Amino acid sequence: MIADILVAGLVFGSLYGLVAVGFNILHRPTNVVNFAQGELIMIGAMLMAATPIGGLPWGIAAACVMAVVAIVTLAEERVAVTPVLRRSSHAVGWVITTLAFSLLLAEAAGRLWTDQPSTVAPPWPLSMRVEEVLGVRFSSYQVAVVVIAVAVVALLDVLDRSRLGTALRAVAADRDGARLRGIDPAALTRRSFLLGGALAGLTGVLAAPLLLASVTMGLGLLIKGFAALAVGGIGDNRGVLVAGWVLGVIEAAGAVFASPGSQSVVLFAAMLLILLIRPNGLRGLAVQRHV
Amino acid sequence: MSEARGTRSGAARRAAPWLVLVAAAAALPLLSGDPTITYLATTAGIYVLVGTGLNLMFGYTGQVSLGQGALVAVGAYTTGILMADHDWTFWAAAPVAVLVAVGAGTLMALPAFRLSSWYIALVTLGAAMAARSLLVEFEGLTGGWSGLIGIPRPVLGPWELGERGVFWLVLAVNVVLFAMVRTTVDSRLGRGMMAVRDAPEMARSVGVAPARMKLFAFACGGATAGLGGALLAVHHGLVTPDDFTLDFSILFLLVVIIGGAARLVGPIIGTLLFFALPELLTGLAEWRGLIYGAALLVLMVYAPQGIAGEWERLRARRRASGTPSDAYGTSDVSDASGTDVPVEVGPPRGEPLGVELVGVRKSFGGVHALQGVDLTIEPGTVHAIVGPNGSGKTTLLNVISRLLRQDGGRVLLGTEDVSRATAERLARHGVARVFQTPRLLGASSLRDNVLLGAYARERTGGTATVLRLPWARRERAELTEEADRLLADLGLAERADEEAAALPHGEQRLLEVARALMTRPRLLLMDEPAAGLTPRELESLGRLIRAIRDAGTTVVLVEHHIELVASVADVVTVLDRGRLVTSGSPQDALGDARVVEVYLGAPA
Repeated sequence: MIADILVAGLVFGSLYGLVAVGFNILHRPTNVVNFAQGELIMIGAMLMAATPIGGLPWGIAAACVMAVVAIVTLAEERVAVTPVLRRSSHAVGWVITTLAFSLLLAEAAGRLWTDQPSTVAPPWPLSMRVEEVLGVRFSSYQVAVVVIAVAVVALLDVLDRSRLGTALRAVAADRDGARLRGIDPAALTRRSFLLGGALAGLTGVLAAPLLLASVTMGLGLLIKGFAALAVGGIGDNRGVLVAGWVLGVIEAAGAVFASPGSQSVVLFAAMLLILLIRPNGLRGLAVQRHV
Repeated sequence: MSEARGTRSGAARRAAPWLVLVAAAAALPLLSGDPTITYLATTAGIYVLVGTGLNLMFGYTGQVSLGQGALVAVGAYTTGILMADHDWTFWAAAPVAVLVAVGAGTLMALPAFRLSSWYIALVTLGAAMAARSLLVEFEGLTGGWSGLIGIPRPVLGPWELGERGVFWLVLAVNVVLFAMVRTTVDSRLGRGMMAVRDAPEMARSVGVAPARMKLFAFACGGATAGLGGALLAVHHGLVTPDDFTLDFSILFLLVVIIGGAARLVGPIIGTLLFFALPELLTGLAEWRGLIYGAALLVLMVYAPQGIAGEWERLRARRRASGTPSDAYGTSDVSDASGTDVPVEVGPPRGEPLGVELVGVRKSFGGVHALQGVDLTIEPGTVHAIVGPNGSGKTTLLNVISRLLRQDGGRVLLGTEDVSRATAERLARHGVARVFQTPRLLGASSLRDNVLLGAYARERTGGTATVLRLPWARRERAELTEEADRLLADLGLAERADEEAAALPHGEQRLLEVARALMTRPRLLLMDEPAAGLTPRELESLGRLIRAIRDAGTTVVLVEHHIELVASVADVVTVLDRGRLVTSGSPQDALGDARVVEVYLGAPA
């Protein structure tokens, strides 16, 4: 039973970690936490489940979904993020606008597709068929999801050390200062949103076979991704993936030991408890305030 | 006596439109025979109630709560369980519902205590989701998906309140709450809330503890949501989990934003427009989700102050364009009066405070801003700190005022070790701060900005303020008079009622000084007050600083303007790259060869 909890925790935790990594990518150049991230992932999953894209060979389909979601995310940057950041009159304006964009996405999806959840088959040669090795039960697709999540974080680590990553860090630290060094924050912001959108699309594609794809799946992913972000520490990709696993295991344990309905309550309580003890997340990379 | 009567009749005139509005609302169910209208009006009234609470949290304190609907659910379920299952009366159940919701609201705010504002948005969102699954989980208590039914109407003496009775009850609660909120936002508490929203560091420097203020705002929001929930339960007669979706929480945020955040009438306008309108035009109701999203997006980008804010702006513009010569005249007057009149600085709250730093170190990552500074600032002097950019001057001020905590070393204020004290506690001991870039309540009047300085001095408690007890009113009148005198001395009297954000930069700095003086400081920390001032303004600043010292306040002055330093300082300390170079009288310190070297580089 412990092994079952660990497997489920790692698999779903990888999804939550990927959601949180998406938050990080968009947060870097803008200091915005995207409240529409959950719905972007939902769009990704629904494109696989309810449109002809899902019928294409998996690799092509995934690429198409990532492209579409990336474009939607860029649209969000144009209408909901940059205009408020430019005004910067209200410190939390972007919370409201990204939330509003999220509402629009959910509403549009609700009109386009039925709210019947649908199953999506994993790509060949992977399957959801449960194998048993040394008493641990898992499927090949579950292994693939965990491996992809680790690969994404490793890839972003490489990217972070590149010229682009350095420029992003410069923009995050001091937008105007970066501009003086010949870095264009607006262009970097657009690129980050494209990348973050593509990742949201990929997360949706990955989530579709695991969760039932439905137009209402976004909110839960948003909140669980946020929990991973808060616990792992904002800006720390490795931290949020590990936090995702920790929370995934706690959630799975809650489902077994308490009741399946109390999953979200257990997860939320765990997050609050961790934050009360370590406000800057598990690894605790504190951000220095300045006056 | 006659003057008092005059203001009272003025107040009556201002209150007249409100009385008419309330009377019209009260007459609504009598005029319209349609019970649907009464039903909708009651629901709208409850939404206004909850929206007003959220306005305190979001509009005035700047905290985005997405869990308001969950708090309403807490209030509604508490009332429902007590009334339907335990036969309590409404009058006993409602206060319990309020208390439980206050508890839930405070709990929701706790983890976000030390984190930035958007954490609160997501934490409250998570709480809303968790609350919904709890409602279904505890089926025995809440009835699960089918909810609670058969909640009776409130009984008043021999009468059971009907549909109309509940409406009037809601209306009465709204009127009382509106009056209370109005007094609150116009008091020390309201100014503290806005300070937390606009400039948290400045808030701490005048003695507002941001975390406590946020908790207070959440408690207020919880109370109104709980009360709203109690009324909703007896209004509908049943509660189900489906009444409290995420959309329900977002509705309140929308109501506040569309009506006008930090405007008292905001929630009223917002509710009428966004709840009542689609409800009446049934064709619109189907599109509500899309309308919510689009309206939030467009408003936040183009009209963040909502309808009430836009209306005020239009009126202000019309007034300004109506009297162009007057506007010109005002600025002219304020310029001419300058501060040629000696400023009458009120006596400080006690003996001037000295400061002693022992081996203070502070680093930001790899930047060592202070590398073991020992410094004694004698009480009652003007002590200037100079040095090139990046020498650690502002960091030093921040360490003294406790906005930053040093990595090592000790800070003594007078004889007290304050190495671990908070900025807000120091403010209560009489330490005031003037910031390098003005930190003001931009949307508030100049007078309110100055009054904020008295935050730590005001003795009237929250209850006395809200109930407008006599001594609360007396203290308020005295402080207002003092603030007006300060504004007059600094040549800003003409603009006392204008918005602080509209002031030119130089005068914003004067306003900062006025706010600092309003605290009656024993130690005043000024960060580059001369930057961007005209020669005339500089001269009056010099006089002002001397007057402040002569009144018995220690002044610590971080400044680049060497002439000003030479003319006002008793002692000058020179910093370079986080180390103390020299300290002494202006002639000695500024003439020191090492200081010349620090500024101009080593002689060739």
